Amino acid sequence: MEQRAKITAAVIHLILILVSITMLVPFLWMALTAFKSMTEATSVNPFVIFPSVWRTENFTTVINNMDFPILYLNTLLLIAGRVIAAVLTATLAGYAFARLEFRGKNIMFSLILFQMMVPGQIYIIPQYLMVSKMGQLNTIFALVFPGLVTAFGTFLLRQAYMGLPRDLEEAARLDGCNIGQTFLWIMAPLTQSSMVALGIFTAVFAYKDLMWPLICNRDVMPLSAALAKMQGQYTNNYPQLMAASLLACIPMIVLYLIFQKQFVEGIATSGGKL
Amino acid sequence: MKRRNRLLTMGLCAALATTTLAGCGGSAGGGGGDNAGGNGGGGGDAGGKLTVAIWDNGQQPGLQEILNDFTAATGIETQLQVIEWNSYWTLLEAGASGGDMPDVFWMHSNEAVRYMSNGILLDITDKVNASETLELDKFPEDLKNMYTYDGKIYALPKDMDTVAIWYNKDMFDEAGIPYPDGSWTWDDFYDIAKQLTKEDGSQFGFCANPSNEQDTWMNTVYTLGGCVLNEEGKSGFDDPKTVAAMEFIDKLVKETMPPASTMSETGTDVLFGSGKVAMISQGSWMVAAFKDNEYIAQHADVARLPKDPETGRSISLYNGLGWSASAGTKNPDGAYQLIEWFASKDMQQKQAELGVTMAAYEGVSDKWVDNTDLFNLQPYLDAMDDVVFRPATKSTLAWWNPMVEELKKPWNGEEDMATACANITQIMNEKIAEEN
Amino acid sequence: MSNIKKGTSRERNEFMWGWLFILPTMIGLIVLNIIPIFQTIWQSFFKTGDFGKGNIFIGAENYIRLLGDAEVWQSVLNTFKYAIVEVPFSIALSLVLAVLLNRKMKGVSTYRTIFFLPMVAAPAAVAMVWRWLFNTEFGLLNHVFHSNIQWISDPKIAVFSIAVIGIWSIIGYNMVLFLAGLQEIPRDYYEAADIDGANGIEQFFNITVPLLSPTIFFVSITRIIGGLQVFDLIFMVMDKNNPALYKTQSIVYLFYQNSFVENNKGYGSTIVVLLIAIIMVITVFQMIAQKKWVYYN
Repeated sequence: MEQRAKITAAVIHLILILVSITMLVPFLWMALTAFKSMTEATSVNPFVIFPSVWRTENFTTVINNMDFPILYLNTLLLIAGRVIAAVLTATLAGYAFARLEFRGKNIMFSLILFQMMVPGQIYIIPQYLMVSKMGQLNTIFALVFPGLVTAFGTFLLRQAYMGLPRDLEEAARLDGCNIGQTFLWIMAPLTQSSMVALGIFTAVFAYKDLMWPLICNRDVMPLSAALAKMQGQYTNNYPQLMAASLLACIPMIVLYLIFQKQFVEGIATSGGKL
Repeated sequence: MKRRNRLLTMGLCAALATTTLAGCGGSAGGGGGDNAGGNGGGGGDAGGKLTVAIWDNGQQPGLQEILNDFTAATGIETQLQVIEWNSYWTLLEAGASGGDMPDVFWMHSNEAVRYMSNGILLDITDKVNASETLELDKFPEDLKNMYTYDGKIYALPKDMDTVAIWYNKDMFDEAGIPYPDGSWTWDDFYDIAKQLTKEDGSQFGFCANPSNEQDTWMNTVYTLGGCVLNEEGKSGFDDPKTVAAMEFIDKLVKETMPPASTMSETGTDVLFGSGKVAMISQGSWMVAAFKDNEYIAQHADVARLPKDPETGRSISLYNGLGWSASAGTKNPDGAYQLIEWFASKDMQQKQAELGVTMAAYEGVSDKWVDNTDLFNLQPYLDAMDDVVFRPATKSTLAWWNPMVEELKKPWNGEEDMATACANITQIMNEKIAEEN
Repeated sequence: MSNIKKGTSRERNEFMWGWLFILPTMIGLIVLNIIPIFQTIWQSFFKTGDFGKGNIFIGAENYIRLLGDAEVWQSVLNTFKYAIVEVPFSIALSLVLAVLLNRKMKGVSTYRTIFFLPMVAAPAAVAMVWRWLFNTEFGLLNHVFHSNIQWISDPKIAVFSIAVIGIWSIIGYNMVLFLAGLQEIPRDYYEAADIDGANGIEQFFNITVPLLSPTIFFVSITRIIGGLQVFDLIFMVMDKNNPALYKTQSIVYLFYQNSFVENNKGYGSTIVVLLIAIIMVITVFQMIAQKKWVYYN
């Protein structure tokens, strides 16, 4: 038995390592490029794999070109605003769609699905005009605005609630909890992992959204949009682009590392509670 | 571990409780957002500062210097913003559809008519006419006309670009061919390109993509007597001379260039910069990038575009950006002052000196030639002697992209060039007819 | 209306709480999204003027043009090809990975972070790197395999190469969702199965898949929609000179070209309406089919 478990573990590691390599190759290439000169980066004949000299200029240029404290602050406000708004509204609506019966529910849920079917590009100009009419251009509110509610998140949380056993809820109601209390004290805590997943996605998508910040807020830019400026029309300085891109990854990876602890702890604590 | 988890859950529930109890009418998210907006404190600079928008990162440092001079001279503060090409046009589009635009910004010939004819740009005719310092006669006629609509002026020329041939000196040496001095014809060019193309596919004479219009094949078309738009403003692709020129290009594609797939995957400037091709045709806007490329800096130089064997003319296309202002700017006088500042002789000269771009102002671009000793940039300046303005109609992009798309077929050997020209004529004339 | 009797207090209660809970989302959604969607649909009946001014009503003309537009139907085919590769492979792969990673094991955290990395990489950088990897003459892929395949410029295979990038980019997304879903499966089920002597594979099919089916369902719905809306990758990987572009460009790519590049918003909207119609049919079909395989408590 012991032997078998060891073999299983080894096979699992082997699979995971192979997949990891596939996932990492493009990143290694990015990292190598970031240390190259422009000539080395675009040289194809001969093919340059390792830079002749490990240059750090590309990183220093990027860092010197940006006002990092302000960019980080803007990014943080943007992400915090969207994550809080999205998780709150989606948790509430997701529960109602999953577990409550009321008139109009199906029509409203169709609207949720309907929103997801439409490519995001069509919203840019109408949403911009709304912010503009509110006189809120160039504010943090403008950055957060399109992410106040989330059809995707509502659907995600609905699925999470639908997977939970019904008897818990029945028991709470028999104990005299009203719907709000049942939701708050019994059901909401059980979908923590989905909330964290939604939080991660909201953060990542808010972070990667370039078009909107560039258009609605040219004064108060988040980090990613500032990095996007690195691309000009005619010239692409690939090494700098890669250096900028790697630097931009770091905050998101840190955030993910913090959040993903939730998943691990979930394993430790959820057992036996039900 | 467990306690922390519980704390987190409780915090979350508390937050939820607040919204559940106070949570009528969607103010939940909105409230949070408002607070954030208050803390951010953005948007307060609409007062005196002029916002200036451009799309080319490479020009930012030079233009910033010119803006600093402007602030020192006039006391008007400015803020320069660089927005990547695609977002730039979406931003202007959104602004023009009823939002907020930058005060002063670049205009491109592809889009100018659309913006001018819809009253999006500030009409500066009166201010230009009243100006005592502006020397309008020093700017090329076509360029001024590009930014004039219905007799009204909407922008002043910013810069000018022309086209020249870049060649790899080592490859010429190796083949024993003397460096081009600008006296060559397109037939000579073909012969040289052919000699520099190696059988084994390790080296090619020339390369160009269908989308390298302004910087390659359009110059050949005009030099050999053809045109893209004829005098009536319709497609020139049914002109026999245009067709003949395009068939000449087709010959170059088939006999002297790498496969079309390679050129599209790798890009012509990268192929040149890695020593795969001996010559490329490029606009003056690429000089800044080529200066940074060690290989090109070491191995390449510049020659004037070849001539037509009969007329002896060598025509380069040219284009130029314009500085324009938003019709809705809160500070029209300041905005105009800035535009005029950019068009003044001193600043045009400074722009050239700093190596930002060639000037639109006549006679000051030799400073641009002097900004580097890596290459001889004189051919770009000489090209100004015989130029044709980049073809444009009211809605240029509507036919421009389908034209490039159609040319991919002969490039890939899926269709002969004559058929492609006939198809382009039809597409262009349809799209141009739709404009009005 | 007449058939509503007094209603039990529970029904009234659920009605009140239900609307209270969904109201913030619905108001936001209608303002931010639903109204613009209907504006877009409305626009598809117009020949649009510049900057939203001077639209001319032309009835179904855009739709008639759409029906006869071979480029549009080619893009529909391209989009389907992309989605058929990207969606099933990315879901299957990430489901297996999530199950493997949902345990106490050395290095779990490292693996998860690695698989998550593509999610946070800047799209422009991703596109550039893959263009280099795929480059026919100088790319790493042909270099390593000693092949000479035109990964992104052969019209027959380019769309599948793009799908490979799609899979690579999206595995982290699916994995996070599956991990979250796995957390919500009570441990006792597995303990009971252990006692019954079921092995890992049996547990996977008899416990994990059924109990995770709401999440799997969610991932398939959102990924099919996402796959059918593919745009960024194609836009950034495929140069406009690329001979394979015609056989690769997606529906959203064409919409973008028409609406934002060629400034024909009316026809661009018509293309969006076609896309919505396609997605709607597929989603409705999935909603009906879910009753057969998705297991809700």
